[in-house]
Amino acid sequence: MTKQFPIDILSQVQKPARYTGGEFGSIIKTAEDTKVSIVLAFPDVYEVGMSYLGFKILYHILNKEEGVAAERVYAPWVDMEAKMRENALPLTSQETGKTLRDFDFVGFTLQYELSYTNILNMLDLGQIPLFSKERTDEDPFVIAGGPCVYNPEPLADFVDFFIIGEGEEIIVELMDAYKQWQSEGLPGGRSEFLQRVVRIDGIYVPSFYDVEYLPDGKVAKVKANNPMAPAVVKKRVVKDMNTISFPTAPIVPFGEIVHDRIMLEVFRGCTRGCRFCHAGMVYRPVRERKPELLKQLARELVDNTGYNEISLVSLSTADYSCLAPLIHDLITELKEEKVSISLPSLRVDSFSVDLAKEVQAVRKSGLTFAPEAGSQRMRNVINKGVTEEDLMNAVGAAFESGWSTVKLYFMIGLPGETDEDILAIAELAKAVQYKYFQVTGHRGAKVTVSVSSFVPKPYTPFQWKGQDTIEEIRRKQMLLKDALKVKNITYQYHDSVTSVIEGVFARGDRRLGKALYLAWQRGAKFDGWSEHFSYSRWLEAISDCGLDKAFYANRDRDIDEIFPWEHIQPAVSRAFLWNEYQKSLREELTEDCRHGKCSGCGVCPNLDVKIIDWKEQGHDEAKN
Amino acid sequence: MKLRIKITKDAGIRFISHLEYVRTIERAIRRAKLPVAYSEGFNPHMKFSLASALGVGVTSEAEFVEIELAEEIDLPSTMIKLAVNLPTGIRILAADLADTKADKLMAQAGGADYKVVVPCREDCNWQAAVDRFNEAESVLFQKPIPKGRGMTKEIEVKSFIDHLEAERAGDNLQLTFSCKITPTGSMKAAELLLVLRDSFELPLLVEKADILRTDLYAVDKDGKKMPLLKPEYIA
Repeated sequence: MTKQFPIDILSQVQKPARYTGGEFGSIIKTAEDTKVSIVLAFPDVYEVGMSYLGFKILYHILNKEEGVAAERVYAPWVDMEAKMRENALPLTSQETGKTLRDFDFVGFTLQYELSYTNILNMLDLGQIPLFSKERTDEDPFVIAGGPCVYNPEPLADFVDFFIIGEGEEIIVELMDAYKQWQSEGLPGGRSEFLQRVVRIDGIYVPSFYDVEYLPDGKVAKVKANNPMAPAVVKKRVVKDMNTISFPTAPIVPFGEIVHDRIMLEVFRGCTRGCRFCHAGMVYRPVRERKPELLKQLARELVDNTGYNEISLVSLSTADYSCLAPLIHDLITELKEEKVSISLPSLRVDSFSVDLAKEVQAVRKSGLTFAPEAGSQRMRNVINKGVTEEDLMNAVGAAFESGWSTVKLYFMIGLPGETDEDILAIAELAKAVQYKYFQVTGHRGAKVTVSVSSFVPKPYTPFQWKGQDTIEEIRRKQMLLKDALKVKNITYQYHDSVTSVIEGVFARGDRRLGKALYLAWQRGAKFDGWSEHFSYSRWLEAISDCGLDKAFYANRDRDIDEIFPWEHIQPAVSRAFLWNEYQKSLREELTEDCRHGKCSGCGVCPNLDVKIIDWKEQGHDEAKN
Repeated sequence: MKLRIKITKDAGIRFISHLEYVRTIERAIRRAKLPVAYSEGFNPHMKFSLASALGVGVTSEAEFVEIELAEEIDLPSTMIKLAVNLPTGIRILAADLADTKADKLMAQAGGADYKVVVPCREDCNWQAAVDRFNEAESVLFQKPIPKGRGMTKEIEVKSFIDHLEAERAGDNLQLTFSCKITPTGSMKAAELLLVLRDSFELPLLVEKADILRTDLYAVDKDGKKMPLLKPEYIA
């Protein structure tokens, strides 16, 4: 049984079950069965980390391997951290209560930039030296993966190596390499192991590269200082989603977590090509699972978890080619067992509304659509192939079906945005309200306008573009607020100071490691939680390192500027991204290569992969 | 038909809340595919309940679940199916089948037994304090009202806990006692510790108390303990 925190500590913290493990489906291996140990570390609180599908997949894949024990750890909430520090208690794993320091690997996922301080805090609580160069042969290897690895540079000083791309296959290769090294008696210590793993495709060892800077602070060049290190590390990608294992007996937590349901991944990748979207660029190409396989996985998941809801997840589930028959079959099979199906997001069209009608036959909670921008001009800039007519058709269908509450997501601070584009958001919201009157003859549709501020991300067409300053964003927020003083329209926005720091780290370089360390030393943690985020602390930390936030966040970059992240490659070509950026300035659209012509992003030839779409390929097996 | 099961809440999961414990059992029932009756309506819920809520942090060897069934079952094989679908911190001890119209266990529960191991300073006269409690006619306690924002209501401790046994075990004091459950309420074991610390000068480290509910039972007219389940299935 796990070694637990003392009773008096657990009884004085919020939600103590976060720290005591023992959930159904958790896997505890004996010391004899553990040759290699890895702890999957999520740098946020339990309820958030337990909702992350990527770790469910890796936990399952790793524990299937003989001799490999994968455990879990989450960031302790601030009340627990205080107790741990007061009583000199280290951070330990959920499964066996082992201190982080005693694992062979500590693997973090980088889901959002604002979790980076939690990584430092967890290393510190786990009694591991923060800086890679200070670790000895007694310490674990600190590794990281996830979407933010496409610019891992701000973490280069702290992480021994990064795993670039999809983890299912590479994580096993890594475990095998460790077992091999172990069977030889760990020759050469840490540095030899790094020399070995750097030969695995998709592993990036930051200490094997030197970065030189120009006098103006831009990158002059990034050069490997180790003969084994490749000039460019390309992402790993699973070619066929039907041949890799998906967890059908995930851990079922005691308490309520953020996504407290079965998560069934229907496909990976999205090629709609929205120019602001990081995920759409770095997870290419689209690879669907077969409907027959999905039905089988759903069956096993329901049997093994006891959950009564299945969420069909992906970057854009409404785009799954066999979605309607799949949903129909799942509902038919699972209705008797009181299992419902849910969709995490809807496309802006009436097809999606029909699906929503089918999956939530009874409950008429609000529907959410994401037009992303208010004016057609702006939607063309971002390549969101949605027209006002599409939106009106979608909400019209929703209102006809009995919904009266609609939530609309927008971004402000998009490249080239004018005040007219901002005000168009308000016009669109009012048009939606009027549509309700047209359809039902009544007034009173509730429309929520939720607005976030745009942060340019690496490996998107807008990686060259400066982010709006905080002052400009605030001005635009107020402009919209004034325009939305309308009955039954709710305007949601939040102060965008967090997006400034997110913007700095998204396109930052190695020198920011110092600022990260300073901010952590001065108390930064849980920066994604506004109540713990201190803007002034961050600004001081950045300027105390001699750095400038505007250099990273607000500056437009030249066509030929070398970016700090270009030696790590999701395989979308720079020429494609630049061309997309130029097309955005001309307000030109690019079609989805899944159904239209190849947009030349380079991913398929670069990685020797192809789009897998069951309908396009005549495999519409769900139809019957 | 109602299925009634006696289960545990072991030390490993003592800190999950009552609601979390309920959800956990509900999911185990679904995994085991027990033929449970559901309520009618748009949001059907499983017809099942627990006999008594346990405080967070308290372990138990006597939790009782009551499940309304939609079809008949074979008790031993069903219990094995359910057992493999429960997390390690919940064990099945016993079970029986009863008529759907039988009184709810919640209504039948008349008392609970506890064993508490709590650190206590060595240089104190714990025996005298315990004797004083046992001999007292009346002991009053200001019980906080749930969600009452610091408001309390005065309760008579002796009407719930009349007598306690104590013995020293190293740095700890071990207390055993029975606590009545009445239609108007009961008292928590942790509250008794506060009473002993604050009104009887017993230097207990209440925050470190290890509280175990050892039994839950009905009480007949003569005050005699009656088991809640018929001895039909013993794990």
